[in-house]
Amino acid sequence: MSFVKRYLLPRLVTYVLVIWLGITMVFFIPRFLPTDPVQSFIDRLSSQGTYWDPAAVQETIRTLRQLYGLEGTLWEQYVGFWKRLFTGNFGPSYFQFPTPVIVLIKQSLPWTAGLLLVTTLISWIVGNILGGLAGYYSDRNWGKVLDGIAMVIRPMPYYILALALLILLAYVIPVFPIGGGFRIGTKFTFTLENVLILLKYAFLPALSLVLIGTFAWFQGMKLIVQGVRSEDYVKYAKMGGIEENRIVSKYVIRNAMLPQITGLALSLGQIFSGALITEIVFSYPGIGMLMYSAIFSGDYNLLLGASTLSILLVTTSILLIDLLYPLFDPRVRYR
Amino acid sequence: MKKVLLIGLVLALFAGLSLSQELPPGIPRNETLIAQWLTGRAANPGNFNIWATWVWNDRGIQNLLLEPLWCMEYAVGEVINALAAEPPMYSPDFTQLTIKLRKGVYWSDGVPFTADDLIYTIELSKKTSGFGYHTQMQQVKEMVKIDDYTVLIKLEKPNSRFHINFVDRWGAFRPLPKHIFEKVEDPLSFNFNPPVGTGPYVLHSYDPGGYWILWQRRDDWQRTPTGMLYGMPQPKYVLMVFYSAAEKRVLAMAQHNLDISDFSYEALQVVLRRVKTARAWRKDFPWTVNIDPCVTGLHLNNAIEPFNNPEVRWALTLAIDIVEYAANAFDGAVTLSPIHIPLVPAYYEWYYKRMEEWLMNFELDLGNGEKFKPYDPTAGLRLAEYAKKRGYPVPDDPEQIKKIFGPGWWKYAPDVAEKLLKKNGFYRDAQGKWRLPNGELWKITINTGNNPAGPAERNAFAAVQAWTKFGIDVVAQSLEIAQNAQGEFEVSTDWPAAEPWGGHPDLSRTLTPYYSAYVPALGEGAPWGNYARFTDPRMDKIIEELQVTDWNDTEKLIELGIEALKILVEKMPTIPTFNYPGVIAWDEYYWTNFPGAENMYAQPYPHWPNFKYMLPFLKPTGKK
Repeated sequence: MSFVKRYLLPRLVTYVLVIWLGITMVFFIPRFLPTDPVQSFIDRLSSQGTYWDPAAVQETIRTLRQLYGLEGTLWEQYVGFWKRLFTGNFGPSYFQFPTPVIVLIKQSLPWTAGLLLVTTLISWIVGNILGGLAGYYSDRNWGKVLDGIAMVIRPMPYYILALALLILLAYVIPVFPIGGGFRIGTKFTFTLENVLILLKYAFLPALSLVLIGTFAWFQGMKLIVQGVRSEDYVKYAKMGGIEENRIVSKYVIRNAMLPQITGLALSLGQIFSGALITEIVFSYPGIGMLMYSAIFSGDYNLLLGASTLSILLVTTSILLIDLLYPLFDPRVRYR
Repeated sequence: MKKVLLIGLVLALFAGLSLSQELPPGIPRNETLIAQWLTGRAANPGNFNIWATWVWNDRGIQNLLLEPLWCMEYAVGEVINALAAEPPMYSPDFTQLTIKLRKGVYWSDGVPFTADDLIYTIELSKKTSGFGYHTQMQQVKEMVKIDDYTVLIKLEKPNSRFHINFVDRWGAFRPLPKHIFEKVEDPLSFNFNPPVGTGPYVLHSYDPGGYWILWQRRDDWQRTPTGMLYGMPQPKYVLMVFYSAAEKRVLAMAQHNLDISDFSYEALQVVLRRVKTARAWRKDFPWTVNIDPCVTGLHLNNAIEPFNNPEVRWALTLAIDIVEYAANAFDGAVTLSPIHIPLVPAYYEWYYKRMEEWLMNFELDLGNGEKFKPYDPTAGLRLAEYAKKRGYPVPDDPEQIKKIFGPGWWKYAPDVAEKLLKKNGFYRDAQGKWRLPNGELWKITINTGNNPAGPAERNAFAAVQAWTKFGIDVVAQSLEIAQNAQGEFEVSTDWPAAEPWGGHPDLSRTLTPYYSAYVPALGEGAPWGNYARFTDPRMDKIIEELQVTDWNDTEKLIELGIEALKILVEKMPTIPTFNYPGVIAWDEYYWTNFPGAENMYAQPYPHWPNFKYMLPFLKPTGKK
């Protein structure tokens, strides 16, 4: 009972407040940008050559404003937004009116989620294991080699790394396609061949993300482990004759993992933001390009839809991590 | 051991797949044309309802699937009668428009295209708020079906240009299939999938991720306007792809997996060097497409000081050494445009040649009875000289040079610019910097976009160099989001005038944005093409006269157009610099006979609606 009153309830209140604040900010900030979705739509078509009779433009603007629900005060729009949100409706995309925002998100999100979920987990697991071992056995040659590789790859601008992989493995040695999510002219059905094709198209984008991600986790973990290794309790364990493998896994890595678990929760939450550069370099479908174009076309609803899901996921991940933390760190107890 | 075998099997399968081509079995590469589309990844690839919303129209919908009534062809200077059989016919008072339709056209699902489709298209738009051209179609009072192929449209009030809503120039109100849409409950949310069209191609398949779409030639291509006018489109398949990064386009073309694509000027050089079978629009320098119906330049905000003063605007023009400017912007690979319309072949005959004498004699009043003739007919020749010095091959024929580099531009006359400024109270300080009449340092901010390879941005950087050299404190700011339409700028690199038709002498498309009734106060959106907010009572009169001049009265249209262009030169509300230099490359590995400078039978871009009319002229090389 004391846990519920003293920790859980206040934590849940904070959780709800953070969500409300985040969504409210995402609602208002784009509206203060110097972008007008209607004008933006008309400008874009005009600049591409579509003729708008100037006499008709103003009338068209009025009609579109009405249809987009952009009439009324900000407060009225804000209230309307929350009413819609509680029914799971983010409204229509302005740029692709009247397509519902949720339809657009549903089309792009599986690609991003599939790619980023897998690469984030692989990077996290591999990076932490290698980083943990390299941190503990920092005097070994293989650790130094790994460290050297990390020193080269980690500071490399992602765009350059991705492009280098693309040139090497799609052009010089043309083993992988230079772009896309699936083979041209083919409809996806669940067969072994199609799954392999899907993996082949995802391989280069995934490799680029895993390389950068793994070595980021590697370096972080290595530094933490080096710190933990010199803690008194590790020294005592050694002196006490505890087996080295047990010291590495139970004493060092387990303790060093704590900040990395929080980091993982935050990284998973970032999936909703997409991987814009990956999408651009590899022409890989995803939510990054969708959000990028939503920002610059003033597509508030689309931006709001994707951001709301992101806010929900990040805050929920952090809440879960907070609640599960005692399992990882016995020192923490919610009394 | 079993695990090793399993891993080996998967790797072997993977490797086998890796060696397979980009195209699936049954789609031969040598029967497929692969082209890059322009406007980015399709976010909603399953939606083809071009009438309800933006569906990335250039991924084959406007350029392969659908036909318009009329299509503007700026490369040869004509309006193609596509679904229409003849040009529009108006009653003398412009209250009635008769449209004759082409006979024998069928929708791709086998239903004949008739007057019913056109009438239904207009009716549906008129009654559906939010549908394409809904506002414009309110002008229709009544429609009469004279016969299956003739429609009489009665208008609410006279309008000699009502038909331009149906003229495709990268956008038009194209007829939709009545038999499909009449069964639809909500035409706005209808996805129109699978799409049905009157064009020569039908949908084969598309990427749910939005990066490619494959089109297949119709078996009955003879029953489409394209087939009737030009014959069978040669590629059996057209694959439209969007490679988001420019580097990938280079790689794809080097692998012969991309036949047509736009590039940056620098990427084009790489393609031409690395891909033996690749060519640009012009085979030699300057390579770029110089017949694009768009002129680039500098937009000056006429609604704020000091740009509200035509003499200041002229001073800024004369402070530009156009050869140096073109060299800085595009290494000289451009066609100079002294007037506010581009030098497309037809405009060269209709406007440039006819205005040359006037331009030569045009004078600026410098005060105290002093006059100055600013036109420099040798500017194009000087640019050609620059190109020669850079080692590029340049023809000797002056007429050729005019068409490649431009007939002329404005003199580089910083001394005259200085006189004009001083006449208006400007002065130089001890450091030689220009000061405004109120004593403040003259600072100019140029708003531009965020693509350093784009013509707009290159104009900005060249202008910064030219005006800085002249003594003005100038910076260019690269903006993702600008409010130029609302007038929140000093100088921008928006096109100096709205793009004209390019293939028809009527300039109302360029001039109407100057009509004073359409120009709002600062803070409200100005019409595209006139963010400068320039107005002139004489221009209003010309626009009003154009409104009552028949679309087919070529001589009168040119006469009025020239008068309007003279006003724009005289007041120089914006500074036109050079034609939009389109940068495109073709790989002739599988296909040849593209419409290059030496063989200009059609416009060259795959994203334009005219793309379908180019395809019957292509020739397969026979390579497998």
